[in-house]
Amino acid sequence: MEMIIAGLLDSITLASLMFLLLGVTIGVMIGAIPGINGPMAIALFIPITYYMTPLAAIGFLVGLNKGAFFGGAVSAVLLRTPGTPEAAATSWDGYPLTQQGKGEKALRMALYSSVAGDLISTVVLIVIAAPLAAIALFMGPAEIFALISLALTVIAGIGTTSISRGLIAAGLGIAMGLIGTEPVTALPRLTFDVYQLGSGLSLIPVAIGLLAFSEILLQLERFAGKGSGVHVTTKFSSKLEDRLLSMKEFFANTKTLLRGSLIGIGVGAMPGLGAPVASFMSYDQAMKRSKHKEEFGKGRLEGIAASESANSSVVAASLIPLFVLGIPGNLAAAMLMGAFMIHGMQPGPLLFKENAQLMYGIYGSLILASLFLLLIGRFGLRFFCKTVNIPALILYPIVMFTCIMGAYLGKSSMFDVGVMLAFGFIGYFMRKFDYSYVAFLIGFILAPEWERALQQVVIISQYDTFMFFQRPVAMVLMGLTLFVVVRTFWGSIHAKRKKKQVEAAAVAAGQHKSD
Amino acid sequence: MFTWAIPIYTPPYPGYGASSALVPNVAVGVMLFMAILSLITIATSIYTNKPLPKEEREFPDDLEDGGGFTQVGRVNLYHLASIMIPCMLLVVAIEHIGYMLASFAFLMILQYVIGSRNWIQSIVLSILLTVVLYIVMRYGFGVPVPGPQISE
Repeated sequence: MEMIIAGLLDSITLASLMFLLLGVTIGVMIGAIPGINGPMAIALFIPITYYMTPLAAIGFLVGLNKGAFFGGAVSAVLLRTPGTPEAAATSWDGYPLTQQGKGEKALRMALYSSVAGDLISTVVLIVIAAPLAAIALFMGPAEIFALISLALTVIAGIGTTSISRGLIAAGLGIAMGLIGTEPVTALPRLTFDVYQLGSGLSLIPVAIGLLAFSEILLQLERFAGKGSGVHVTTKFSSKLEDRLLSMKEFFANTKTLLRGSLIGIGVGAMPGLGAPVASFMSYDQAMKRSKHKEEFGKGRLEGIAASESANSSVVAASLIPLFVLGIPGNLAAAMLMGAFMIHGMQPGPLLFKENAQLMYGIYGSLILASLFLLLIGRFGLRFFCKTVNIPALILYPIVMFTCIMGAYLGKSSMFDVGVMLAFGFIGYFMRKFDYSYVAFLIGFILAPEWERALQQVVIISQYDTFMFFQRPVAMVLMGLTLFVVVRTFWGSIHAKRKKKQVEAAAVAAGQHKSD
Repeated sequence: MFTWAIPIYTPPYPGYGASSALVPNVAVGVMLFMAILSLITIATSIYTNKPLPKEEREFPDDLEDGGGFTQVGRVNLYHLASIMIPCMLLVVAIEHIGYMLASFAFLMILQYVIGSRNWIQSIVLSILLTVVLYIVMRYGFGVPVPGPQISE
């Protein structure tokens, strides 16, 4: 109990509150700019957190991520260009409302739904993470190895249309993650005799290059083709009923909000799915269950509530696998995992045992971040609407130069800037040829832990090949891994066969008609 | 490249635990297996004269139903070079002429390359960004900026 109170008190120190507020504010501003999302913002700002206390750093980054999730809705509603992929479903009903002069009302609905979904999800995280982590403590190296294998297999399917390309990206990420000092012999491995690689590739330059720099390269390419940037007028209706959201309007969507939040929690807690899936799933369910299906897509507040509550509840829920098992469920969680490691902590079940006070401090920060989001969103809505108008010619050089200096800041090394540029280059091609940079990055982060677990299994079992068969949980997890691989390939073969059958049936039906 | 690098740049087996080449070999093995599988799919589709499945096409952006959040498409080498070369030059130049000059020149070139022709705006932004980041790094975080320092 003392630990809980001490942790919560830590989260309300002036420094923690200031960084949290700053994180949420920057997050909303960044999220509102199309093309810049939460994980990218975390990658850009992680170097700054070197100089903060662990709690302030994690609070700042969590606030940044939460803010970016809501920020994505701003450009989705005003421009029909979602600032983040998960806000796409918000634009379907948000933009029509803007066209009707009710943009402010749509944004208020998005804000309140985001905060509600986020709060519900945070409460679930607080209630279940610690007990689950206590159970996870019984897991040995065999289970951890099997679990990481499963996570890598599931995650290989994210961000690409092809599982084979996903696995290639994950394999490349693992190979890159193994560069540096080998844990058993303590000798350099795959360093090509470059002494700076002796301690391995740092996460920060790799993440900035892959997430931010490559994205800016692509944005600039698109921008060069189109000429000038976008401009949006943020003129809203002067009628109060078009601007404000009444209690009645908000509470009419309570069911949708709760359903969206639960969908978001379920999706967020499972590694590999991500916020866009939650948002589309929730929107689909809201439409199917609504009495006014025909109004969806034409400016229905229920659609915004469904999408925003679901995608925002993913933020806290995605921390469940991270805190309980040390497995990042999505890109933002992977970046947060990196931040934990930078501050000397290894996410996983031991986190609650070794850093209990800090964990309760983080819980406090998570709740406060939701409240700050409500306050900042409520009073700064009109200001954030203006951020979507920042000219690209000003924005891109700023982001690009920040990427370069951010990569330098970590170790004060120009070598890291070179690494960042190299991974920006690699990331550009990965995006162009549809190789999942998400799978790459998660493979890169999990590779050392995966290898450590394998080495422990081999040493403890004294080369017993059947070690996994003696551990039921490990066996189940390995079985699941195999199942995921077989099911994915079988699914694609089955889909092709079915398509052929449908095509053949269509051809036969056409011939029958012509006869 | 990895199949060449792993045996050369991996420590010898110490006599206990798993070989340090095991996990890199597994990762590269998966990559090779998947690459060969994709090549077989392409070769089969060419041989049988059937179109490739949509997820295996080289440029899924060309598809009618493409788009959304995938950012696949053809590589614009000219654009890539026009951004990457100034960045690489900055890395080299910063060590020789110092942060201030190199960053100012880099930002001016970058803005020109991406299409800015408003010289006043470019100069103001370049100076502002260079100075603000200098102050943030030097006095905010206590990190010396790269290259020769102003005081030297």
